[in-house]
Amino acid sequence: MAHQRVALWAAEPDLDDDINDVDVDIPIPLPSSTNELYDDPNLQLDEGALQAMQQHIAQQAAFAQIPDVVKRFIVHFHQAVLDNNLQEITVAYESGWTRLTEKYYAKTEWPEAETIAPLVNDDQIFLILYRELYYRHVYSRLQPNVDDRFHSYENSCELFNYLLNSDGPVQLSLPAHWLWDIIDEFIYQFQSFSLFRSRPASKTDDELAMLASEGGAQAWSSYSVLNVLYSLIQKSRANEWLKARAEGKSDEEIEEIVGEYGTKPLYRMLGYFSIIGLLRVHVLLGDFTLALKVMENVGLGQKAPFTAPTAVHVSTAYHAGICYLMLRRIPDAARVFTGVLNWVMRARQYHTRSYQYDQINKTADRMYALLALCHVLAPTRLDDNVMNIVRERYGEQIGRMGRGEEGLSTFEELFLYACPKFISANSPPYDDPAALASMLNPPTPTSPTSQSPNTILNDPTQRHLRAMSSHFLSLTPVPSLKSLLKLYTSLDAQKLTGFLDTSGAGADEEEVLSWMMVMKNAGRCVGRVNITGPTANGEKDNEGGSRSSESLLGGDWMSISDLNFVIDQNMVHIAESTVGRRYAGWFIRNSEHTARVLDGIKASPLPPRTAPPVQKKSVDVPKVEGAPRTAGQKVAWGGVKVA
Amino acid sequence: MAATSAWLSPPSRTELIENLVSGVDRYNPSNVGILEDYLYHQIRSEEYDCLANLAILKLYQFNPDLFNPDVVINILLKALTAEPFPDFNLCISLLDDRPTNATLDEPDPLPTLLPLLTNLYNLLHQCRFSAFWTLYRSDELEVVRENYTVECAGFEDAIREVAARSVKATFTRISGERLGSYVDLSGSKLEAWVAKQRWTLDPSTGVVSIPPNPDNQIESVVIQEHIKLPQLGKVISHSVQAK
Repeated sequence: MAHQRVALWAAEPDLDDDINDVDVDIPIPLPSSTNELYDDPNLQLDEGALQAMQQHIAQQAAFAQIPDVVKRFIVHFHQAVLDNNLQEITVAYESGWTRLTEKYYAKTEWPEAETIAPLVNDDQIFLILYRELYYRHVYSRLQPNVDDRFHSYENSCELFNYLLNSDGPVQLSLPAHWLWDIIDEFIYQFQSFSLFRSRPASKTDDELAMLASEGGAQAWSSYSVLNVLYSLIQKSRANEWLKARAEGKSDEEIEEIVGEYGTKPLYRMLGYFSIIGLLRVHVLLGDFTLALKVMENVGLGQKAPFTAPTAVHVSTAYHAGICYLMLRRIPDAARVFTGVLNWVMRARQYHTRSYQYDQINKTADRMYALLALCHVLAPTRLDDNVMNIVRERYGEQIGRMGRGEEGLSTFEELFLYACPKFISANSPPYDDPAALASMLNPPTPTSPTSQSPNTILNDPTQRHLRAMSSHFLSLTPVPSLKSLLKLYTSLDAQKLTGFLDTSGAGADEEEVLSWMMVMKNAGRCVGRVNITGPTANGEKDNEGGSRSSESLLGGDWMSISDLNFVIDQNMVHIAESTVGRRYAGWFIRNSEHTARVLDGIKASPLPPRTAPPVQKKSVDVPKVEGAPRTAGQKVAWGGVKVA
Repeated sequence: MAATSAWLSPPSRTELIENLVSGVDRYNPSNVGILEDYLYHQIRSEEYDCLANLAILKLYQFNPDLFNPDVVINILLKALTAEPFPDFNLCISLLDDRPTNATLDEPDPLPTLLPLLTNLYNLLHQCRFSAFWTLYRSDELEVVRENYTVECAGFEDAIREVAARSVKATFTRISGERLGSYVDLSGSKLEAWVAKQRWTLDPSTGVVSIPPNPDNQIESVVIQEHIKLPQLGKVISHSVQAK
C-alpha cells in the first residue's frame, strides 16, 4: 500500500502541470497561459490576470502547506471512491478522516476543495463529496460564517442534483453511515441556518446584505429541503419498497416495483433515510401529525430492513417520541423512548467507534429527560432498567415536578433542555429593511390592553413549551388528589374539598369536581401500547409482526391509571387496581445473565498456570456487570407495589 | 383503532381531499382554495376534519402571503370542540410567527383573539365548563360570537359534547343544576338535551342518571401477567443451544 502511495506521489509535478490546463472552468478563470506569464516577467499584467495569478499563487502556497500524509489520504480516498470500494471508503470515512482531523484540523478548516483539486484530477464528484465533509467539519468543530452557510447549501444542491438528475442512477457506492450522515447533516444545516436567520438583531451588515439578496431568500428554504427529501423518496420508491416487503412480495416482484433506482443500495438507503429525515423536518417545523404520517411504512421498531447505523434508530425514536408527547399520547411516547434506550444500552458495548457516539449519548440523555416528563404527566409502569437510569439522573427533578405549580419551572427547564430546537418556516423580512426594523424595535403598542403581537407568536419553541406547560398546569391538582383518594373507598365530595382546602388555596366544591374530571381524563388516553399484546409491555420481541401495517397515528382508548373512581351525585367511590408481581421479565433477564456467566466460564481457560489476568477478565466482567444490576432490580421490584 | 379512525379519516372526507391530505400535493399553494372551501363546508354541516385543516395551516406556514386570519380562527374554533384530543395545540403549533402586516386594509383580528381562544381552550382542558360559558358569553368575546361562531353550525352543541364526554366518564348521577351549569342550559332545554344524550332526569329530585359505560364503572382488579410459551421461545431455544 505504502508503495502505491509513494508511486502516486512521484507523479506530483505532472499533476501540477495538468491543473493549469484544467482550471479554465473555475469562475475567475486562470489564464491558460499562466506558464508564459512566468516565463516573461515583462509582460503587462492587467488587473484580472494579476488577481488570478495571485489567487493561483495563494492556492499553491496553501497546497504546499498541506501535510503529505493528508495529501496521501486524499488521493487514497479518491481512489477508493473511484473504485466504489466500500470497505476502503468506510475506513477512510470513519477512521482516516477522524484521525487526521484530530491531528491537523482540530481547530482549523480542512484545505479548500479548490486547493486539493489537483490531487484528485479535478474530479468534480469527489470534490462535492469532499466539500460535504469539509463543511460538516466546519459546522461541528468551528463556527460557520455566513459564506460557509450559503456555500454548504450550494454544495448540497449540487450533490443532490447529481444524484437525482443524472442520466439514470449514478454509479457510486457509499457506506450506509455516510449516506445517513449526508441526510442528517443536510437537515442539521437547514435547522442551523433557520436558527441563524431567525435572529436578525445580531447580524453584521454583510450578513444582512446576503440574507436580503435573492439567493438569501432561496437558500435553505423549507420548500427546497422538503423537495430534496421527497424527491429522494420518490426516485428510490422507498415507500413502495417498504410496502412490498411488508406484504411479503418476492425479490423479483420487489425489484420490479422499485425500478432501476430503487434496486441500487445507494438510492434505496437514501430513500429510506430521507423518510426518517422528513420525520425530523416535520417535527422541527411543529407538524407532529404529518411527521408520524410519513413514517407509516417505516414503522417504529428496531427492525430496519437493512443494517442501519445506530444513529438512525436513535433519531427515529427521539423525534417520534416528541410527536407522541405533543399529541399528549404519553404512554406511546414513553414506549418509544424506552424501546430505543434499552436497545442503546445493550448495543453500547459494540459502539466503540466514537464519531457518532457523543451525539447518540446526548440524544439518549435527552430521552431520559423526556421520560422523566412522561413519568410526571402520566405515571405508568415502564421498563425497570430504563426507569432506574431516569431516576438516577432526574429523580430530583421528578420530585420537584410532583409538587404542583412550583414544579412548573423545573418542568419547563427540562423540556427546553430535551426538546429539539424548533424552527420557523419563514425568514424575518430581510428584504424589507423597514419591516425588519419595526420587528426589532416594535412600535410601542397603542392600546395598553393588548399585548404586542410579537410577544404572542414568537419563538416556535416557546409556543410548544406553552402548550406543554398548560397541560402540566392542568394536571397539578392530580397528585395530591390521588394520594387522598387512595385512603378511601368512598368519600363525600364536600369532605374532600375540606381536606384539600387546608392548603389555603380556597378550593370550592365546583373546583374540586373539575379537578376530578381532569383526573379522570388524565387516567385514560389514546395509545397503541396495548394493541399487539397483553399488558406485558416489557416484551418487545413479540411485537414485530403487525407493527408496520398499522398507522402510527391510530390508537385506542385505554386506561392508564391504577386509581379509578366515579362520582354518584356528591359521593366519590374509589377503586384501586393493583398489578400482580411480574415474573417474566425477571426470569428472562436472569436466564440471560446465567447464560452469560456460563459462557464466560466456558470461554475461560482451565485453572492457573496460564496467564491469570486474561482469565480474570473474562470471568469477572459478567459478574461485575451483573452484580449491581441485580441490586437495581430489587429496588425496582419494590417499586411495583407503589406503581 | 376505533378511537382514532374518525379523526384520521372522517367518513365525510372526499377522495379529492384525501389525496391532498395524504399526498405531496398538499404543498401546492394553488390547492389552498379547495381546502378552505372544505373547511367552510365543515362549518356549515357540523363536520370536522382535523388533518385537512392542519394541511391549510401548513400551506399558510410555508406561504405567508396566503394567510387568512378568518380561516385560522374558524379552524381554531373547530379544534376547540375536539377536546380532549389535542387538536387545538396541534393547530397552534403550526401558527408561525408572521411579521405584522401593516398593509392590510382591516386590522388582523388574530393577535387579539388568539389569547382569548387560548383561554377558552384552557378552561375546557381544565374541565371548568361553567367558567368557559361565562367567558364565552362575556362582552370581550362578543366579536367571536357575532363574527365567527354564529356561522359555525352547532358550535355550542359541540362544546356541550365536550362537557358530556367528561361528565359521562366521571359521574353516575349528577344534579340537574350542576349539569346545567356545565352545558349552559336549563329548564326544558336541559331536559331535551339530557333526553338526547339518552340520560334520564328524575323530575322529582332533579337528578340526572347516566347509564353505565366503561369509564364510569369501577372495580378493583389485580392485573396479572399472562405469559404464553411462544414469548419465551428465544430464551428457551438459547438455553438449548447453550448445552
